[in-house]
Amino acid sequence: MTKRFVTTKVEVEGREETKVVELPARDPAPWGADADLHIVGQRVARMDATEKVTGEARFTADMQLPGMLYAAILRAPIARGRVTRLDLSPALELGGVRGGVSIDDVPNVKLDGVRLFDRDIHYAGQPIAAICADSLDAAERALHAISWECEHEPHVSTPEQALHQNAPKIRPAGNTARNSPRVMTRGDVEAGLREAEVTITREYRTPVALHTALEPHGAVAEWSGGFLTVWESTQGIFMTRAEVAKAFKLPLSSVRVIKNYMGGGFGAKNGAPHSTYIAVALAKKLGRPVRCILDREGEQTDAGNRPATIQRVTLGAKRDGSLTAIKLEATVTLGIGGWLAGPARIYHEMYRCANVHSTEAFVYTNTGAMASFRAPGHVEGAFGLECGMDALARELELDPLELRRRNYAKDDQDKKRAYSEKRLDECYRLGAQRFGWGHARGEERDTSGRFRRGVGMASLTWGAGGGPPAYATVRINRDGTIEVLTGAQDLGTGARTVLAQIAAEVLGAKVSDVRTVLGDTERLPFASNSWGSITTASVGPAVRVAAEEARDSLFEAAAGMLDTDANDLESKDSEIHAKSNDKCLTIGQVCEKLGDVMIIGQGSRGPNPQNTAISAFGAQFAEVEVDTETGRVRVLRIVSVHDSGRIINPTLAESQLEGGVIQGLGYALFEERVLDERLGVSLNPTMHDYKIPTIADVPKIDAFFVDGSDTAANHTGAKGLAEPPIIGTAPAIANAVAHALGVDVTEIPLTPWRVLEALTTS
Amino acid sequence: MRLIVNGASYDVVAPAHETLLVTLRERLHLTGTKLVCGRGECGACTVLLDGTSAYSCLTLTVACDGVSITTIEGVGRGDGGLHPIQAAFVEHDATQCGFCTPGQILAAIDLLGRIPDPTEADVRRGMSGNLCRCGTYPKIVRAVLAAAAPALPND
Repeated sequence: MTKRFVTTKVEVEGREETKVVELPARDPAPWGADADLHIVGQRVARMDATEKVTGEARFTADMQLPGMLYAAILRAPIARGRVTRLDLSPALELGGVRGGVSIDDVPNVKLDGVRLFDRDIHYAGQPIAAICADSLDAAERALHAISWECEHEPHVSTPEQALHQNAPKIRPAGNTARNSPRVMTRGDVEAGLREAEVTITREYRTPVALHTALEPHGAVAEWSGGFLTVWESTQGIFMTRAEVAKAFKLPLSSVRVIKNYMGGGFGAKNGAPHSTYIAVALAKKLGRPVRCILDREGEQTDAGNRPATIQRVTLGAKRDGSLTAIKLEATVTLGIGGWLAGPARIYHEMYRCANVHSTEAFVYTNTGAMASFRAPGHVEGAFGLECGMDALARELELDPLELRRRNYAKDDQDKKRAYSEKRLDECYRLGAQRFGWGHARGEERDTSGRFRRGVGMASLTWGAGGGPPAYATVRINRDGTIEVLTGAQDLGTGARTVLAQIAAEVLGAKVSDVRTVLGDTERLPFASNSWGSITTASVGPAVRVAAEEARDSLFEAAAGMLDTDANDLESKDSEIHAKSNDKCLTIGQVCEKLGDVMIIGQGSRGPNPQNTAISAFGAQFAEVEVDTETGRVRVLRIVSVHDSGRIINPTLAESQLEGGVIQGLGYALFEERVLDERLGVSLNPTMHDYKIPTIADVPKIDAFFVDGSDTAANHTGAKGLAEPPIIGTAPAIANAVAHALGVDVTEIPLTPWRVLEALTTS
Repeated sequence: MRLIVNGASYDVVAPAHETLLVTLRERLHLTGTKLVCGRGECGACTVLLDGTSAYSCLTLTVACDGVSITTIEGVGRGDGGLHPIQAAFVEHDATQCGFCTPGQILAAIDLLGRIPDPTEADVRRGMSGNLCRCGTYPKIVRAVLAAAAPALPND
């Protein structure tokens, strides 16, 4: 058949890109909401759970190769300046030390605009050199023996300092990003404000949050005969391969990147980080495998963060609550680099409003660079927008949920296109019902006691359609076991299980007969990074197509054995059954008769529908209790309801929702990188001082989905769901605190100190 | 010195400042015990010392002479089947990325050893020294309570 290459739009983490796509050989009819499915939609146990509970799951940090050496990184203790002298030799003379690298030993790669091992220091924590030894202990001790000096120059810690006319130049091109400020506009916001009968203006602030994945960034590198193998804790094996191959001037076929298990990513592990280049360079120089895993302080200072924002929000509405204007002026603190993940988009997407105007300034400072962090931009933006909506509701004396319902956006207004499906109204209805919103909000509240309770909610949306390119191979072994092969990654999301369920569904196989193989660039067809909640919606359809192709071959082979035609066959529980004559063979029996003929199906992901926005939606409801003496906020319960199209595995999907809500709770109450502005150094680069939620902090979470299938999105009907549950959690909690105390809440995290301050200033 | 790990003995020569975590992972190649914070803040390195949970990153190897050490590799029934707590973690999906899971399971074994019939509050308190960034906490609560239930009579 003639291949056809077309282009399609794919949205990843708020960025819409045009991708070339090869039309798949087949385009199956979508699985509608009432499709007769037996394995898709079932609560199949996570397929790699046994390896995880037994400790057998081998993570990058666990890799041990014969002769392997350990690397440790020397980092800058100052935020800006210059290395004036660097002599590794005292360190190299120590026992157990095998070698070291500094700027002259590594390729000229730039990460976030900073050259690896640059002598100019741009932020505290910047790598200066690395030492390699027989043990990590020896490598770390040797760092102290390096003879070096640096000179401090004035640094910039805050956006206010960066934008000051006398500020030092942080990057060669200046102190703001190239396309900053980014301005987006729809209608005429000033006219909208004139039209408004009620307006509110607030300034909201969100902190720098740290991913804090338990497994740090890291790699193990081994060279053999000019070929390089890298074990990497990464969300993108193919992106890592491309970056490493480019840096070391290798053909792509000479680099193999493997990621089987990883201890969390949350957006920060999308390409080759410093540790990878260091491991590869040291392994090359020393002719031995090298493991370079960041220590916790390195992970918390130089491995990405969610940037801080300041959001000046003005909302204008008619007395009936209908929005006439949404205006945002935002400042985003990128650190030394990163990409333009801003809070504005959700202001343009969430509510119906003719006049929306946003300005986002992206400012550099001498601190570690930002990186994508679970729903980048939208998490920050939802805080300002959704708290603003509650402030407006108070002004209008309207129920906050009612205000949101009155401003329901039926389509994607900026791009003037329809949504493939939008069931946020159903989320509002079911969420309010399960939460008991009307009752809880209407209740008379104690406003004088020490402990005060309140309820709040927030809406959310996220572009979660996924898209091409993504490829999968399904092959059936001689014993009837089935392998799904695709170069995607399972970060702990459950992708491995979900993709096996899709193949089992199509093939009529027992799901226990199916195994998914992921994360190896040498052996698997391409799939993109597992980011932007795209894996299920991108790779799932490719697996379905591959499995259909394999099933057709299997049925054709079985037809002769069962004295019938292929279209007379059906399969279930790994048995192929002829409807006309009741004859039956297992998939294994058919394949055994075929000998070493291997049934193989190939599949790819087709284009997205034209001129259509594919988004997930949801609503968060929270109840809190605030101790007005200590300022401590306790979240009592959360209801989190989502429209994510078809749910392939409800158990794993609910786990994702709970995890997102819990991270959102941390963002609302505890999480904040604290910088010593005078020194430009983080004061809390540890897990004790950077507070993530513990099991004791977690309230009752009722997380669920509205039933359905988004058949216009792709032929599995599934949309992404990993990122949505963190969006909206913090404003729902903040709105509940505001409700409990009767004060405005404008800054997170809601530490006891901030709560007490809000109480005193009100 | 001699270490007894999961019932097997190992002759180990470790420097005085070496932690049990490093000995287990790098010398004995028992990598189920994880290094996350390295300073007793997260619980990923939890092991049992004579049946009581301890952070192996804060335990010196030289202090473990004659101590019976249990790591995740030593958990589970002899026939290769899962320990009831491991089985409950699988059944209740109490693992996402899995990096904290070995430590969680050892903490749960310690907890149920001390409090065989815990309340939900007991579980939240008893497991609060083990951090999970994926947020599997609700499922961990369920799994630990479920594992406790059948263990009550004569297990």
